[in-house]
Amino acid sequence: MIRILRHQKVRNILLQALFVAVVLVVVVGGWRNAQQALSSQNVVSGFGFLQKSTGWDVNFSLLPASPNDPYWWFFVIGIVNTLFLGTLGLVLATLIGGLVGIARTSSNELLQLLGRLYVDFFRNIPLILQVFFWYALVTNLPSPRNAIDFGPLVLSNRGVYMPALNVGGWHVFAAAVAALAALALPLWLRTTRRLATPPEQRGALVWRVLAGGLLLAAAILLLGRTPGSPLIDAPLLQGLNLRGGLRVSPEFSALLVAIGIYGGAYIGEIVRGGFKAVGKGQTEAAHSLGLSPWQTFSRIRLPLALRAMLPILANQYIWLIKATTLGIAVGFTDFFMIVAVTINQSGQTLEAIGILMAGFLAINLSIAAIFNRINRAIALKGNQLRS
Amino acid sequence: MADTHPTNVPAVQINGMNKFYGHFHALKNIHLTVHRGEKVVVCGPSGSGKSTMIRCINRLEEHNSGQITVLGTELNDDVASIDGIRREVGMVFQHFNLFPHMTVLENCVLAPMLVRKTPRAQAEAAAMRYLEKVRIPEQALKYPGQLSGGQQQRVAIARSLCMEPEILLFDEPTSALDPEMISEVLDVMVHLASEGRTMICVTHEMGFARRVADRVIFMDAGEIVEEADPETFFQSPSSDRTKQFLSQVLGH
Repeated sequence: MIRILRHQKVRNILLQALFVAVVLVVVVGGWRNAQQALSSQNVVSGFGFLQKSTGWDVNFSLLPASPNDPYWWFFVIGIVNTLFLGTLGLVLATLIGGLVGIARTSSNELLQLLGRLYVDFFRNIPLILQVFFWYALVTNLPSPRNAIDFGPLVLSNRGVYMPALNVGGWHVFAAAVAALAALALPLWLRTTRRLATPPEQRGALVWRVLAGGLLLAAAILLLGRTPGSPLIDAPLLQGLNLRGGLRVSPEFSALLVAIGIYGGAYIGEIVRGGFKAVGKGQTEAAHSLGLSPWQTFSRIRLPLALRAMLPILANQYIWLIKATTLGIAVGFTDFFMIVAVTINQSGQTLEAIGILMAGFLAINLSIAAIFNRINRAIALKGNQLRS
Repeated sequence: MADTHPTNVPAVQINGMNKFYGHFHALKNIHLTVHRGEKVVVCGPSGSGKSTMIRCINRLEEHNSGQITVLGTELNDDVASIDGIRREVGMVFQHFNLFPHMTVLENCVLAPMLVRKTPRAQAEAAAMRYLEKVRIPEQALKYPGQLSGGQQQRVAIARSLCMEPEILLFDEPTSALDPEMISEVLDVMVHLASEGRTMICVTHEMGFARRVADRVIFMDAGEIVEEADPETFFQSPSSDRTKQFLSQVLGH
């Protein structure tokens, strides 16, 4: 008997069985405990509440919303808001991070210093403090009457106004999808090896897809234009308020700016690390072949740096998506805030938290899956690399 | 390519060149003339400045004083003349430095297409010719990481040749290779040497030096100590330092 216990495989199986048993005990115990506690407080558990109307409203929604709408619709609104804020935040953070990272790896010492100051400053202040700062700033802008004109933007304490297209929401969405496809498809055509022609012979096709997609997007926008009004709708002061244009609420702008600037500091470091990971030898080889600094950057250093950045970048993107939950600090109705209010109003704590977790899992697992695919597609082939 | 520069100017002329790293005097008053079509082998103990010297010729390193003239153009801060010289001077590195994200063929056609504006079809045809010359045309669509060290170095040689350079610099091309792969690279280099291109090789391969060099240069502590044809260099070197080096390299 003792001898059997000394056998490696037997030991492994026994340990794993023990582990599963402990997990089962914890889960079942927790479940029973929760059920008893809930029934003693007369809370009906289950997802029936999803069909009930909420009776409260959201302050920001891309989709139509009213207090008569059921809970499940509000959860959809919350996820869309989170995705909207998250996507724009990631784009802004990536743009800022790209510039900061390139500044920090440039040979210009002033740019290096500016990049370093930026990272040191914004990376070391807690994100929630930065959200509060930007929120205080945008809510203390002058009233619409004295609003600041900043190019096409009008800044006021009611929000940031920008010129908008007089086009219906669904048409804008469809046009955005078409434009995104026009940008993404050429990238895929440039790299995939699944088609019969080699990627480098698809130049003309790539340009046609790009131009066609953008034209399609423009056509959709023109089709969806509100009849009898100008195509571009600029904000104008009427009475005490600004009318027309697109209003971006103070909550949304504060969060977007905070996530963009804070995320930019982190992404800047990732970009810097990516460029540092490119072997000096490859750069020297490019120089010795007579490639110009720009050609060396765009053909050699950037593609190699991107490969080094991607896995860490995926990590950072997932982190930033979760940072949108700070919406609750300034009252932006993101997914987390809607779940929090739901818990308060309906008492369905476990169900609502389950939905919250499932939602964020779905979003972030999708990001991870997309990045894994890209990673695999562009991974360097072979294992004999020397740099 | 041979017609773009008058044939009477030397390929490389270095006059009183000095190079410092901080306070370290890496190259001391270097004088060297390499004629068109000449094969020069540079040898010497590690740290003697051999690599630094040839890296100054295509300005991967900047010299601090003195003059370097390549094919009649002086190397200075003028970006256009640096670019012009780099087009005419190919370099093969110790660690190959292939572009790992491109196939062998793309490695070869990149510079001709971007720098010389050669159309793709023409660049690919030329690349395949040079890959045949280095005896690996069948690897054209593989990635560098899928090749052995010796194969990678032969690709690197083909990549340099695709720019049709007047001058080829070799910076210890066999030092990072396993012993059984050294000969495949040296064979290619011997073959190249028979074609009239100017070659400057930093190497420890004394057999190669004896076979192809028109002149052997021995460097120590940042100075050119001895300069002679291979016969004289190996049979009757004049300096004691050369004798000592040769006895260490050839001694066993």
